[in-house]
Amino acid sequence: MDLILTDRHLPSLSLPDNTPVIHVAEQKIAPCVGCFGCWIKTPGRCVIRDDAPAIYPAIARCDRLLVVSRLLLGCYDLPMKRLVERSLPNQQAFIRLHHGESHHVQRAVQPKQLTVVAYGAQDQEERDLFRRWLGRNSLNTLAEDYTILFADSEAQAEELAGKVVRAWVN
Amino acid sequence: MGKLMIVNGSPRAPKSNSKLYIQAFLSGWSGAYELYSLTQRRQEDCLASLEQCSDLLLVFPLYTDGLPSGLMAFLQALLAQPPSHPLRVHMAINCGFLEPSQNDVAVDMIRLFCKRGGHSFGACLRISCGEAFPTTPFMAIARRKLRKLASAIAKGRPVQLTASMPLTKRMFLRAAQRYWLGRGRSFGVSEEEMSTLEIEGP
Ligand SMILES: Cc1cc2nc3c(=O)[nH]c(=O)nc-3n(C[C@H](O)[C@H](O)[C@H](O)COP(=O)(O)O)c2cc1C
Repeated sequence: MDLILTDRHLPSLSLPDNTPVIHVAEQKIAPCVGCFGCWIKTPGRCVIRDDAPAIYPAIARCDRLLVVSRLLLGCYDLPMKRLVERSLPNQQAFIRLHHGESHHVQRAVQPKQLTVVAYGAQDQEERDLFRRWLGRNSLNTLAEDYTILFADSEAQAEELAGKVVRAWVN
Repeated sequence: MGKLMIVNGSPRAPKSNSKLYIQAFLSGWSGAYELYSLTQRRQEDCLASLEQCSDLLLVFPLYTDGLPSGLMAFLQALLAQPPSHPLRVHMAINCGFLEPSQNDVAVDMIRLFCKRGGHSFGACLRISCGEAFPTTPFMAIARRKLRKLASAIAKGRPVQLTASMPLTKRMFLRAAQRYWLGRGRSFGVSEEEMSTLEIEGP
């Protein structure tokens, strides 16, 4: 399954009918409150019943994921970062060694090919930091097969997203 | 130095490990300070008070390998409404995993914030095993490092400190298993239920 998560509209994108596109900034997604309810109280379910519980299962299921996000301080900007935090139910409380480091055991999460179109970086330092952040986070989301495309403008972000999707279709 | 503003960046500030780490820090701190938790939702007051502070100490958990989104929003507001003088920014970050180095990227995110805002980066403590630390006798190790952080900040020394439990990887995995099973049990949830592969049901 393919999935697109974006924090901006991509009007020029032409997609096969069945590819879900989620406009993350328009969803009601509260920040994680760190209660760990999704591990110890209602395993696999977040206790906050806003729009996030409809999205993190789709993130778990997809095997190709395109994320289009603005950057803030070398990370996804707030809409996407909140969603990443709220995807904690995709993991178990239990810890295993992964590449020799401690990481959580995943629930039914499909290993995936992730492409990130990142826009809004202010300088090379921020791009390098984002690369390091995604490299680390990919270990916790089974997205170790990832590619980052940096865009200098929103228009270029849309163009790059279009290229990614065309490559998916072909 | 002038006054220190301590910000608890945990989304569960009143019941957070960050709160316990701040208490330990304060046992070694004798200067003037103010304490603000992001959960108080009085961000404007905190930003205004920073005008009277020379130093800012951020105490927060690692969230998905970066800063908690609430702290990112706070830093964004601070970049938009900066005090009239640069701050010295210090941090004590804690993460759940065994390796203090898992905090490194988040530390550099704070460095980037300092650069953007024209602030200077001061002392830094990276804590690992942060979720369980306060529940074990090892907390003495973290407490010692937090007091060391306090003394470094008072003396204006930009030290880099780490605090971890003296456990092998295998011991850590076993301890973490015990810890989380106990947390589940307190809600009547079994190991089997906690291990479900289902996300939002079948
Ligand atoms: C949404 C979320 C994401 C987290 N991400 C990480 C992580 O990437 N690495 C890590 O070691 N711990 C992670 N943790 C664990 C916390 O850093 C740890 O439990 C910490 O002690 C919480 O501190 P606090 O009580 O001050 O909020 C995460 C916890 C939550 C709730």
